[in-house]
Amino acid sequence: MEIVTKNAPHLRRPNANVTRMMRDVSIALLPLVLFAIYQHGVGGLLILLLSVLAMVATEYVYYQISDCIERLNEAKTDTVQQIRDLRAERKNLKREWKNEKTDQSREAYETFLKTYEEKMPRLKETLKQEKKEASSKDNLSFRLNNKSFTIYNFSVVTSGIIYGLTLPDTIPLSMVVIAAVVGLLLSKLIFGGMGQNIFNPAAFARVFVVLAFGAALSYDAFVDGAAGATALSALSENPLADNVTEHYGYWAMFSGIGLPGSLGETSALLILVGGIYLALRKSFDIFVPITYLATVFVLSYSVMLTQGLGFWYPAVHMLSGGLFFGAIYMATDPITIPVTRPGRIYFAFGLGVITFVIRLFGNLPEGVVFAILIMNMFVPAIDYPKWAKSRFSLRAILIFAIVVVAAILITNLGVHYGL
Amino acid sequence: MITRSRKVSDYKQLTKELPTLRYVDPEYVYINLNTARCKEYTLNAKKGDRVKLGEIIGERKGLFFTQPIYSTVSGHIEDVVEKIDSTGITVECVRIKNDFKDTYHEDITDRPDSVIHNMSKEEIVEIVKEKGIVGLGGSGFPSYVKLDTDKDIHTVVINAVECEPYLSSDYRLIKDQPEDIFRGLTYIMQASGAKRGVIAVKKTKTELIEVLEREIARFNEWNIQIAKLDDYYPQGWENATFEQAIGVKVPVGTLPMDKGILGYNVSTCASIYEAVKHNLPITKRHLTVNGDAVKFPQNIRVRVGTSVRELIKLSDGYSEEADKIEVIIGGPMMGVSVENDDVVVTPTTTSVLVFHSVDHKEEPCVRCGSCVFSCPVDIQPVSIMNAVKRDDTVSLKELEANKCIECGLCAYVCTSKIHVTDYVRKGKQQIG
Repeated sequence: MEIVTKNAPHLRRPNANVTRMMRDVSIALLPLVLFAIYQHGVGGLLILLLSVLAMVATEYVYYQISDCIERLNEAKTDTVQQIRDLRAERKNLKREWKNEKTDQSREAYETFLKTYEEKMPRLKETLKQEKKEASSKDNLSFRLNNKSFTIYNFSVVTSGIIYGLTLPDTIPLSMVVIAAVVGLLLSKLIFGGMGQNIFNPAAFARVFVVLAFGAALSYDAFVDGAAGATALSALSENPLADNVTEHYGYWAMFSGIGLPGSLGETSALLILVGGIYLALRKSFDIFVPITYLATVFVLSYSVMLTQGLGFWYPAVHMLSGGLFFGAIYMATDPITIPVTRPGRIYFAFGLGVITFVIRLFGNLPEGVVFAILIMNMFVPAIDYPKWAKSRFSLRAILIFAIVVVAAILITNLGVHYGL
Repeated sequence: MITRSRKVSDYKQLTKELPTLRYVDPEYVYINLNTARCKEYTLNAKKGDRVKLGEIIGERKGLFFTQPIYSTVSGHIEDVVEKIDSTGITVECVRIKNDFKDTYHEDITDRPDSVIHNMSKEEIVEIVKEKGIVGLGGSGFPSYVKLDTDKDIHTVVINAVECEPYLSSDYRLIKDQPEDIFRGLTYIMQASGAKRGVIAVKKTKTELIEVLEREIARFNEWNIQIAKLDDYYPQGWENATFEQAIGVKVPVGTLPMDKGILGYNVSTCASIYEAVKHNLPITKRHLTVNGDAVKFPQNIRVRVGTSVRELIKLSDGYSEEADKIEVIIGGPMMGVSVENDDVVVTPTTTSVLVFHSVDHKEEPCVRCGSCVFSCPVDIQPVSIMNAVKRDDTVSLKELEANKCIECGLCAYVCTSKIHVTDYVRKGKQQIG
């Protein structure tokens, strides 16, 4: 028996771990996956499978390579540094001699030059030897496990499912794979893997689909992810006049049955079920989706009031275009949102405003994924040490209230004069 | 997961109903000569000298105070040895061989109540100073300094919250000697001129509240109340206790005395009673031996200076299945993990915990925010951790890392099992 020392605290919260949190998100997504397969058949299943597999494979290959490089670097000794130091010193002495032009400095340089010429070839030889040893079979050989791979904690699987569910069912499978690989690589892996990423990988990959392949096919079908015209794209063409709910009815828009749209975004009902599960398991911060949804509702409701529209207007905004999906599964990814509670509320409010503004004034009928990426960029600013506070202060509430009122005013003025 | 979670399971049911054992007669006692607060000392006794219980054998010198060293047994002085004390540092201890006679020093005489009743503030402060009473909750801060304040004190708060899990020594103290605590409180109120006394306990400890309420009836000429606090960690942190018990917020950086409050730990209160009434220094204290790697957890009333190794032997030793254990002096959230069990019981040792050592697997931080939501002083441990990692002292100052009270809650709640408290501690040191 051995007595070990550790720093306080010596107790840890039971049942708290990252794997449980990420697994919960995957479980909450299951009803949506089943619904997508029911609605879209084998095509939907293929898209989902491919997007998950592509992301997992990308991460696996990336970490195989990076681990290999790491092993090579570990194998190197300080020979490289020694060579660098020698060169730097020679340069230094030479400069000194040229500047001072004294015999003493010239002598120093010349004596150093002799030892330099003696040492250098030997060092280069050792380096060559070392490189050979490092790239020997042992270090380059394939190892099944690599240490940073995050499949065990469901992080990459969750990203893959979320990404797959945002895709339209008509997308060619090659595009699914390309966007998944590029999205994961550029949004997550090059930043240093799990916990370091600035952008939500799923949102990034989804936006990559829109921007890279949008021109290849008709724009609407890709951005909003629908085979036919969705409620939102109808609204985008004719912002205020048409009562689009007449086409579908509230129940269809809520349950998603028979509604055109991307794989997992149509059924607000099932998304809510997953959200309630996550809230009960405390696996996400419930303030983010609530604030996000409330912001969009308040903005669309105010437009409804000032423009004299019916209640169908906010209802369409709430129930279509993946707002629920984005709010519950994408905007709550803890890695890419601020850490303080007020910060998270500002973040979600920003999401709501940007989403609504893109829907009304932008070229795109859909704004959720763009809003998430744009607000992801502001996270470091919201978390800036000087501003971020853990609790709301009276001053912060006042300023926030003014910003909310201003956002409502600007949107309504814009709707009145701009559309 | 991602939530404000300040509830820490308390595991007190293991020991709180066990009777207090009396283990007051070790063969040798080791009286620590220097402490973390007092680096220098003088020892007036030499080897072979006979000392009596309660006799002054030396003096510790602190920054702004001196403290007499008392013998806690009667017997013969032996040599000076090195041991570890409750703060985990190595201190020099004088070894005294117990003659098991418990001969009290001539000074140790009871004061009649009539004398105590007429004592002035200065006299009580003098006794507390002379008897070397320090904060027994673990701080070790000399109690007379607080009592000697010239501020207007309106309330005395006795902190009996004991929010650290596993500890039940204060619990047993209140159950065993409630009268001592009330008398101690009346002495403090008399000295400070406070009109109100408040005893703060967790509202989940109903047995204690019963005991205290019974006692209040006997002290009805004093204005003493019981404040029932919520079951949170760290509710026993002085400022948190004051905030909930009497509704006064003490900002970080100011002293409770500025707000007219005087706070004492419940064991300090009991020892003030013993000092004033019996003229006794701190010779015994309640101590919990607990944890999952000790065979027979229990509460012990021990003599100050007992070796912890003996106490663990008394608890049937370490459990055999453990190949790696941690020995912790103090609570599991803030206590010190010592490198061997050659530790002496000092007045501030509240407990000895022995745990199986578990190596938690650290995962990358997912910025879930649990540490930020849970922090009792409203700082952002995760941002401080990142600032420490990139050596950013400017950010550390802006993040107010110096506010940290090192309660350990951020590491406790961490979803990724990262030792966040360690990083914050480092950050605190970096900005001084």
